[in-house]
Amino acid sequence: MRATSTPAPQFDLRDLTLRLSGRTLLDGITLTANERRIGIIGRNGSGKTTLARVLAGLIPPTSGTATLNGADMMHDRKAALRNIGILFQNPDHQIIFPTVREELAFGLLQLGRSKSQVATQVTDILSKFNKSHWEDAATHTLSQGQKQLVCLMAVLAMAPKTVLLDEPYSGLDIATRLQLQRYVARIDTTVVLITHDPDALADFDRVIWVDGGKIRADGPPATVLPPFVAQMHDWGALDDLADLPD
Amino acid sequence: MISLTSPTKIWAHRLPAGVKLAALPLTTLALFAVSAPAPLGLACVATAALYLSAGPLFARAGITSLRPLWPFLLVIALWHGISGEIAAGLTISLRLINAVALANFVTMTTPLSDMIAVLSWLLTPLRKLGLSTRAIELSIALVIRFTPALTHKGERLAEAWRARARRRPSWKIITPMAALALDDADHVALALRARGGLEPPPTSPPNPSSFPK
Amino acid sequence: MERNIARIALFAALIAALGFLPAVTLGFGVPITAQSLAVMLCGTVLGAKRGALAVLLFLALVALGLPLLAGGRGGLGVFASPTVGFLVGFPIAAFTTGLIVERWKGPLPLVASVASIIGGVVVLYVFGAMGLALMLGKTFPEAALLVTAFIPGDIIKAVLAGGITSGLAKARPDSLLSRA
Ligand SMILES: Nc1ncnc2c1ncn2[C@@H]1O[C@H](COP(=O)(O)OP(=O)(O)O)[C@@H](O)[C@H]1O
Ligand SMILES: [Mg+2]
Repeated sequence: MRATSTPAPQFDLRDLTLRLSGRTLLDGITLTANERRIGIIGRNGSGKTTLARVLAGLIPPTSGTATLNGADMMHDRKAALRNIGILFQNPDHQIIFPTVREELAFGLLQLGRSKSQVATQVTDILSKFNKSHWEDAATHTLSQGQKQLVCLMAVLAMAPKTVLLDEPYSGLDIATRLQLQRYVARIDTTVVLITHDPDALADFDRVIWVDGGKIRADGPPATVLPPFVAQMHDWGALDDLADLPD
Repeated sequence: MISLTSPTKIWAHRLPAGVKLAALPLTTLALFAVSAPAPLGLACVATAALYLSAGPLFARAGITSLRPLWPFLLVIALWHGISGEIAAGLTISLRLINAVALANFVTMTTPLSDMIAVLSWLLTPLRKLGLSTRAIELSIALVIRFTPALTHKGERLAEAWRARARRRPSWKIITPMAALALDDADHVALALRARGGLEPPPTSPPNPSSFPK
Repeated sequence: MERNIARIALFAALIAALGFLPAVTLGFGVPITAQSLAVMLCGTVLGAKRGALAVLLFLALVALGLPLLAGGRGGLGVFASPTVGFLVGFPIAAFTTGLIVERWKGPLPLVASVASIIGGVVVLYVFGAMGLALMLGKTFPEAALLVTAFIPGDIIKAVLAGGITSGLAKARPDSLLSRA
């Protein structure tokens, strides 16, 4: 069930440019978006993760602006916490704490909840995902898919208005991917999904194709995905690995 | 690895950690104030009784944890054997064994969480002064999380090294390990920021749940 | 701010991880544990203040009972044993090393090596020998005599620390807080 009562959050990017170590990673991106399900596609190294980091206010753009519901996520961290939660591409980069309980509790404590409130919420989340037995598990002993699920729980527990998922399905076996996909499908807020899998975006409202730090195409899946898939196959047919973006 | 966790739960686990931690420096100071072998020998008997009161398994673990001391005891034995100051050598050895054994006893009977609780309590004055001790608590958790992770990556680097070299890894793998630590630090900094950073925002009404129904 | 905390914590973890790593070899086959080398790196990479904080954090966890010292030692016992002077000296060694790298703007490999020798060997051994003297009831010169055998190995580590630091400066150009 997707809630339609509250207005969807509105992303507003104006001439967004990001240069790091002398390279232009994002190049004049301008768009507004308020769809409930937004997909971002593009080759490896095209700038998807970088864009996600700017959207979540984790790194500042070199020039241009990025706002969510009119607030600058980079500077207004308080608003950012309630407006956007991000699932990192690599769960090892996201997990901060030694145990699952601490990892889940952290974000909730950051929202200013009391310790006892947080303890019950952590138990709730784990039982919603049928993972109560994970509470005391050491995070570094979990498998990749399990870590990813812990990260997803940690993000969802904070109940942000937008959930940004950076390639959540890469490196998972098919069964785990299908389970995770089902969880994501049920998320009751705006979802921005970065993925390499066109099928995962078929019923999305909008798909944005990023290429070389620019927007190559933007529209409903039916118009963006077919040329994207065709282009990927064209590139894939080339023998020359020199074409791999670095 | 000589781990200092106790093999069994004993009566001393139930003593408040603060009491044990306060008693330890006092007894240690007392040991250093005494400089005759006889009272120190008596103290050693008392410490041994302390260990034995917890059962043979615990006592054996206690002896194991004293193992790192033997090179020093050997040096003392040689030194004082040659110089002929036997009483002085005995005093030093007994004091050493006793001080280390008592400290180990406290560590063995106090779980990490209790230790952290005492540390947090000790930091209360700082909080009263308006300083945030959150950073300290957070960094402790980070070290516990990343020590196994970095060790694991170091082992993989060493494996990758051995897969392509005949000899054991040289110091050269320390550079990539340090680079990994720096990279992990960057990721953690972002992960912390993504969830509100060091200063938690003041209590705010929660959003309606975005949780799967 | 998050970045500082993260770097301090990760370097504390690095000290521990290098203690767990099976001994690595110096150029000529002598196995060493890299833990004291990590203390030097805390100074050369993080600088005086943050380097010392990383080492203090590491020691705090050792005191809390985690067996993080090379050889799997830890707990309060290590602070009552004869090597306590070296533990007390660790953060001061990192601080001194870091201070020298921050102040002396010469060529990095040289500066970092010399700083590691002064901080990680001279300063560290002064404290180490004082601890031994106190715990074993010896005079300072007598205690110093007991540890001289270990000094050449640590000087080699200090030189390696210089090389590793400049390697890091090349691999991660903006990573050197000591030269920021
Ligand atoms: N900190 C950085 N400094 C320099 N270049 C970077 C940095 N982070 C990423 N890049 C480069 O930016 C490009 C885009 O990266 P990224 O956003 O991760 O791509 P994607 O997520 O689409 O695979 C890549 O070529 C990557 O090498
Ligand atoms: Mg990416």
